[in-house]
Amino acid sequence: MALAINNPFNDIALSNYSTSTNNSDDHRHLAGNWNYSSPIVDWETFSGTHNDFLDVFDSTICIENPPFLTEDRDEEDEFKGLRLYHLLIAAADAVFGDHKSCDLAHVILVRLNELVSPSHGTNLERLTAYYAQAFQDLLDSAPVSNKTHHHNHHIHHRDDHTPTDFLAAFQLLQEMSPYVKFGHFTANQAILEAVAEDRRVHIVDYDIMEGIQWASLMQAFVSSPSAPHLRITAISRGANGRRSIGTVQETGRRLVAFAASIGQPFSFHQCKLDSDESFRPSGLKLVKGEALVVNCMLHLPHFSYRSPESIASFLSGAKSLSPRIVTLVEEEIGHGPTIDGDYKVQFLDSLERYSAIYDSLEAVIPMKNRARALVERVFLGPRISATLRRIGQRRWSTAAMEENCLWGEKLEKMGLKTVKISFANHCQARLLLGLFNDGYRVEELGNNKLVLGWKSKRLLSVSIWGSSTSSSSSSSLSDSE
Amino acid sequence: MFHATKKPSSMTSHDRQMCVQGDSGLVLTTDPKPRLRWTVELHERFVDAVTQLGGPDKATPKTIMRVMGVKGLTLYHLKSHLQKFRLGKQPHKEFNDQSIKDGIRASALELQRNSGSSSTLMDRSMNEMHMEVQRRLHEQIEVQRHLQLRIEAQGKYMQSILEKACQTLAGENMAAATAGPFKTTSNNMGTTTSLVSDAAIKDFISPHHTFPPFQDMNNLFNSEPPPPPPPLIDCLKKPSPFISGAGKTPIFWPDDLRLQDLGTPSATLAPAPPPIGGAPDLDSLQLEMYESKPPPPTPLLAVGNNVMNEKKFDMTLKLERPSPPRSGHSDERLNSNNNNNGMANNNNPTMLQPQGRNSSFG
Repeated sequence: MALAINNPFNDIALSNYSTSTNNSDDHRHLAGNWNYSSPIVDWETFSGTHNDFLDVFDSTICIENPPFLTEDRDEEDEFKGLRLYHLLIAAADAVFGDHKSCDLAHVILVRLNELVSPSHGTNLERLTAYYAQAFQDLLDSAPVSNKTHHHNHHIHHRDDHTPTDFLAAFQLLQEMSPYVKFGHFTANQAILEAVAEDRRVHIVDYDIMEGIQWASLMQAFVSSPSAPHLRITAISRGANGRRSIGTVQETGRRLVAFAASIGQPFSFHQCKLDSDESFRPSGLKLVKGEALVVNCMLHLPHFSYRSPESIASFLSGAKSLSPRIVTLVEEEIGHGPTIDGDYKVQFLDSLERYSAIYDSLEAVIPMKNRARALVERVFLGPRISATLRRIGQRRWSTAAMEENCLWGEKLEKMGLKTVKISFANHCQARLLLGLFNDGYRVEELGNNKLVLGWKSKRLLSVSIWGSSTSSSSSSSLSDSE
Repeated sequence: MFHATKKPSSMTSHDRQMCVQGDSGLVLTTDPKPRLRWTVELHERFVDAVTQLGGPDKATPKTIMRVMGVKGLTLYHLKSHLQKFRLGKQPHKEFNDQSIKDGIRASALELQRNSGSSSTLMDRSMNEMHMEVQRRLHEQIEVQRHLQLRIEAQGKYMQSILEKACQTLAGENMAAATAGPFKTTSNNMGTTTSLVSDAAIKDFISPHHTFPPFQDMNNLFNSEPPPPPPPLIDCLKKPSPFISGAGKTPIFWPDDLRLQDLGTPSATLAPAPPPIGGAPDLDSLQLEMYESKPPPPTPLLAVGNNVMNEKKFDMTLKLERPSPPRSGHSDERLNSNNNNNGMANNNNPTMLQPQGRNSSFG
């Protein structure tokens, strides 16, 4: 097929696409999908189900630089930003749309790669570069017609990173932004309150990574009046496990050493997932009299992609064990009856989200900086890939599990009941954010969720759940005065 | 720790006797103009005296003074306090960790007493509101304290990971360095990369010594020359050297460790640990944390002595300072803890602190 690489992509008008490829009908159809009629965009038509999207996008895309649509910027810059944006949307259409076209997608991606690079340029440019890369991953990882994407042999650039890169980036991420600490501390506080009176605690951790969440929990246990014995079972991925800093065994050794250093009685176990990454509760060793805690960190910036089937099997398995408390951390994506089936909105939502994350990092460290480039490369790039995979999954999978976008809602449907976030927990989150940039916000959603956001965009949520059968102790400790 | 106050030693919350003669000093603030602090106990005695005299309307400052029998209490003190009491307003209470229960009990009792007097329903709910607010304030203090400890614990753990990674790298570097000069170009690149990645690690272990304030880091970052734009594909496939080759000062780098020292792996891997005595005073650290960010409960936390630096981000970084273990230290700690069954780490007094406190929080 004749792919005109030298085609007039310089103009924004989508109508030009039709002259350069064979799938002219598709493009007009694509153009129609986006209500796109002229090179100078009528932004209102993009709003659709997204109210004030433009404002949000503007506000999130640049903090220190003026939004690319103001007159202060060069016309060229302005059009470049627009161009990138349209190319991204076109790529999304090509990859996710009804008339999926890999060839068109490839063309668009080539063009994008000419325009942007992940290591320099404005926020939007770098973000676009990572999106382009993510699209590329998506296209490369599975054939067009394949609907099942949960094979683990997808191209994952993260595995190319050295452990030292990972560590350096992780340390930077923790210092620049509160994402990691917010998730960990909020979950830990909820756990502490739930097991305040127990002598033995058993935590089942879905993705223990390097184990840093439990360092602060152990410290809190050591200084609490109940000083319980702690047992952690880490779920490991078997043969397909990615190595971040080391294996799960290494994490276990580290945790044991740390526990010994602060005097916390501790033991560590492992439970392997099946080869298809589903979880079998029978693989766990349970002891009577223990308070069971299930900890599920999903979308922290340094976490890798997990297939929805795996997560679902873990959560339902966990529920069957009637745990005292389930802590769930996931990215706060837009959801709702109109959005769930609509990949466009999900895609734009993801664009907003990562723009917000980029902005939040930029607010701490200015743009042309190696440190930020490292974090973006090691963490955010793969995260963007994972998000696009998730959108793709929802788009192509017909399984009923995909109805709900948020895992929290899934838990609710499974019958777990909500556990209120205590005043102390909320207070801790606010204090934690106070240590970082002013742009971060925490808000309480529902009755069991704490959401971290940047400016007006919600990013990460921590939700707490309990079994309806097991007894859960009271949340606020001040009541026990 | 938070306040420079002295409580009258002979008074306890259970002491409802009146006319305790000749007790020790009153609580005064450290303002230039010393003002009397109406502590819970003092207020209780005041209320006792007033009730004895037949209520706030019947009591006069003179008679109250006589009945209370507290040295140093002047008519002026009592006049204003009585007026406030009559209007149903509660004076500002002072709480510290030990007396929170006493405070709440006192408030509850006062609630009862007030209901006996001519106070209205509004006064009662205001009292309840005050109690609630103060309870929340106390909780907030607890949260702050615990948050600091938890951040420190995380920092400590992170340090142990970094150090281990550093040691692993050292091993690799030694092996690579002794492999001989005849290497292919790619090997050279690999070595350089690993050395440079080592530098990247050193960046974050160097907080051991000096940690520049977070705001200043921006300046350090800006001094970096912008890198030449690498092709997109290369960026993806190969981890680019974190620091551009020419031995310029990398970010976070303290003055004593420079990039050229990386030539000798041993030099890089034994950062001179600061003397143990140099570990900052942890109490002052806590105070610094509270001091730099203006928190809602300002009256309770205004200490203002050890603050050197108002920058908010200092706190995150300074918090990491006292806790990171040196490699020698952590072994020591492990050994000592093997002997003392489960006793908390002696080197790190913050760990011991909360055990001494009677907190039911977490």
